[in-house]
Amino acid sequence: MDPIIQMRQITKAYRGVPAVKSIDFDLFRGEIHALLGENGAGKSTLTKVMAGVVEATSGEMRYRGQPVKFASPNEALQDGIAMVFQETSLVPSMTVAQNLYLGEEKFLNRLRGIYISAQQFLQSLNFPVDPTAVVETLGAAKRQMVEIARAVHHNAEVIIFDEPTATLTPEEKRHFFALMQRLKARGVSIVFISHALEEALAHADRITIMRDGEHVITDNAANFDREMIVRAMVGRALSDELYGKSRDAAKIRGAGNKVLSVEDISMGAVVRNNSFSIFEGQITGVFGLIGSGRTETFKVVSGIYKRNFLRGGEISLDGEPVRYYVPREAVKDGIVYVTEDRKSEGFFETMSIAENLFSGLLASGREKNAYVSMREMHDLAAEWRSTLNIKAINDNARVVELSGGNQQKVVIGKGLIQKPRIIIFDEPTRGVDVGAIAEIHQLINRLADQGLAVVVISSYLPEIMNLSDRILVCRQGRIVEEFSPTDATEEKIMYAAVH
Amino acid sequence: MTIRSVFSRLDQERIVLAIAVLVFIIASVTLNGFLTAANLVNIVRSVSVLGILAVGMAIVIIGRGIDLSAVAIMAMSVAWYLQMLGDGTSQAMALVITLAAVLAIGLANGFLVAYADVPPIFVTLASGAFVFGFVRSQLITQDAVPVPPQHWIELLGKTRWLGIPIEVFLFTAIVFVAFLFLRFTKWGRYVYYAGDNPMAARNLGIPVRPMLLLRYVISAFIAFTAGILTASSLLSINTRVVNSTLLYDIVLVAVIGGIGLSGGKGGMRNVIVGALLIGIMLNAMTILDIPNLYQNLIKSTILLVAIIIDGVLNPRDEQTAQQGDI
Repeated sequence: MDPIIQMRQITKAYRGVPAVKSIDFDLFRGEIHALLGENGAGKSTLTKVMAGVVEATSGEMRYRGQPVKFASPNEALQDGIAMVFQETSLVPSMTVAQNLYLGEEKFLNRLRGIYISAQQFLQSLNFPVDPTAVVETLGAAKRQMVEIARAVHHNAEVIIFDEPTATLTPEEKRHFFALMQRLKARGVSIVFISHALEEALAHADRITIMRDGEHVITDNAANFDREMIVRAMVGRALSDELYGKSRDAAKIRGAGNKVLSVEDISMGAVVRNNSFSIFEGQITGVFGLIGSGRTETFKVVSGIYKRNFLRGGEISLDGEPVRYYVPREAVKDGIVYVTEDRKSEGFFETMSIAENLFSGLLASGREKNAYVSMREMHDLAAEWRSTLNIKAINDNARVVELSGGNQQKVVIGKGLIQKPRIIIFDEPTRGVDVGAIAEIHQLINRLADQGLAVVVISSYLPEIMNLSDRILVCRQGRIVEEFSPTDATEEKIMYAAVH
Repeated sequence: MTIRSVFSRLDQERIVLAIAVLVFIIASVTLNGFLTAANLVNIVRSVSVLGILAVGMAIVIIGRGIDLSAVAIMAMSVAWYLQMLGDGTSQAMALVITLAAVLAIGLANGFLVAYADVPPIFVTLASGAFVFGFVRSQLITQDAVPVPPQHWIELLGKTRWLGIPIEVFLFTAIVFVAFLFLRFTKWGRYVYYAGDNPMAARNLGIPVRPMLLLRYVISAFIAFTAGILTASSLLSINTRVVNSTLLYDIVLVAVIGGIGLSGGKGGMRNVIVGALLIGIMLNAMTILDIPNLYQNLIKSTILLVAIIIDGVLNPRDEQTAQQGDI
């Protein structure tokens, strides 16, 4: 088989932190290649390099035997490499045909003309999509068909799918895989990223597994079975001295009082009949892959959503039913949510460290005086800067200028100043450097020792294994299994999460 | 980028102040009748009213909003008040009714922005037009409503202290109170947090929506105060001012002073330097007898340039843009 894409020693680092490290990857002509791995394994980054969405830091890529370097996705598309993202890049308010021919409209653009040619084109692909339908009225599967049709229309020889089946119903999935076979029959090479192992086993010709930004194994799909894949996905080689050791059974904290219990809550399509409890004095780890509803569940609990269509269920705090419509009410009751997206909803970017930390006190309602003094602010900042070991020139340094780890410490500090009883960390170490990860983990442990009810949401298994006194696994909008750290293994947790 | 904007921010204030001084000196030397006691009083008077209006606008803009109804509230509330007085309503009654109406408009603006999630630029554009249309057609009988003779508003206009008109002291007082509010009160700090990142502020438990309400109410009351002062110096209020360029002058003062339209930045110092520059400039243009048309052309050009510079210095990234523009 001759490879259409050859990648050699590809490395891509974000702010010095490598997301993929010296990867070699071959894609053969006319094959279906599945790319598997945990969240953060580097699958998306690797495919983005292929499709010109991001530029590799180092390494070489050959396409049809020629070395290439794409400056933009559009350049890659012109050369025949198309990427279909999880969130589609279609224009929702336009019709299917308009989307298909987006960017190549003639000066005098007759709609009738493009509808006719779109109709013929879609028929040739055997896609049951009406070219005059407005995209926002279509379901996820049909949207995907439009994206694929667009890729084929651009004569793509390579199509990359980023978790194509995540939003599809079983019936739609069947159509999708049939379509993939048809594309293959036309000689198109396909890469698809997936979390569903069965899909990869059933439909891929070859499978590549990645872990922590490194290539683990590539082989024919026929040579794999479920167990082998899971082991390859999680079996890490103690790459990080931070992780890897399983928890010492004696150090596992027992459950204190039950503070929060959630009964059967549902919201939209993401949270479905979810029930669980949170206890004081221990760390509850919540593991789930992206889209499993873990973040959404806790956002509902702490009132973060502006419009939350809770379709039933009950949340109780200390046995009393509660329902928070704004975060302020939750904060007053001692529930603090530390966001996973610190840039857009975590900190105040034009402001200093001191002002950011001070916001926690001001918002908590503990500051009874209407009068606030700058001295109070600086005292508070000095205290918390040393408690959290925030590295900055002084209090007046602006938060945007700090490293990811120090930014995260500021965001956590803001939450801790509010003196929470229940603190929910959503991906507390995302985009954080290794040194700061250890400090943040120590801090989280200290909080649990002090008797707080701590929740850590993470899609990084070692983090969950390392911190949790109790592990909840979330899948398809609900907690599906609970493990104690003594009998949990990464394999078991992954099984529960992907099934 | 961030360091650059810190410096440029510091610079903008100084540059504007320097330009104001420069314009003042040039005008003093070249223009007859500029550097006279009477004209200087004129300048500080107009700077004061403009400045007071800009204080309200600044508080709203810092919280990532904008209040385009300020001029309508200013003119129409006072016009209705004077009309009621002229029609024989008792002093106290007229004042109470007017204040209640001002409060209601401020609350309506705030409610629509905070709870109905309508962008403030549309809310206040519509409410301003509504206030003007409703008051002009239903409540008052002519464009200009005079101040009744010997009324306290007239006396207010004549009040001098050390030869300086009362507006100047009122402007100083309002700026000072607003400064204390923004800088040293909990609620004032909330304005900055909500202006910088409304989502983060909300998640943290800051009462973002009630505070929005408060800001539009403050802005409405400040507009009413400015209206009273306008009436006191002219002895009447002309409602045609609603359709003048005054509103743009106010935004111009705030933006040119260095209050970023993207929210969370600036303070009362910026209002003072902005008001000084614009006030001196407008006065110089009037003395030069530049026709109104050309004055507007010059002002709009300056506003446009100021907004472009503001956009370059305080870029909004995609995420801020998604959270709702002004």
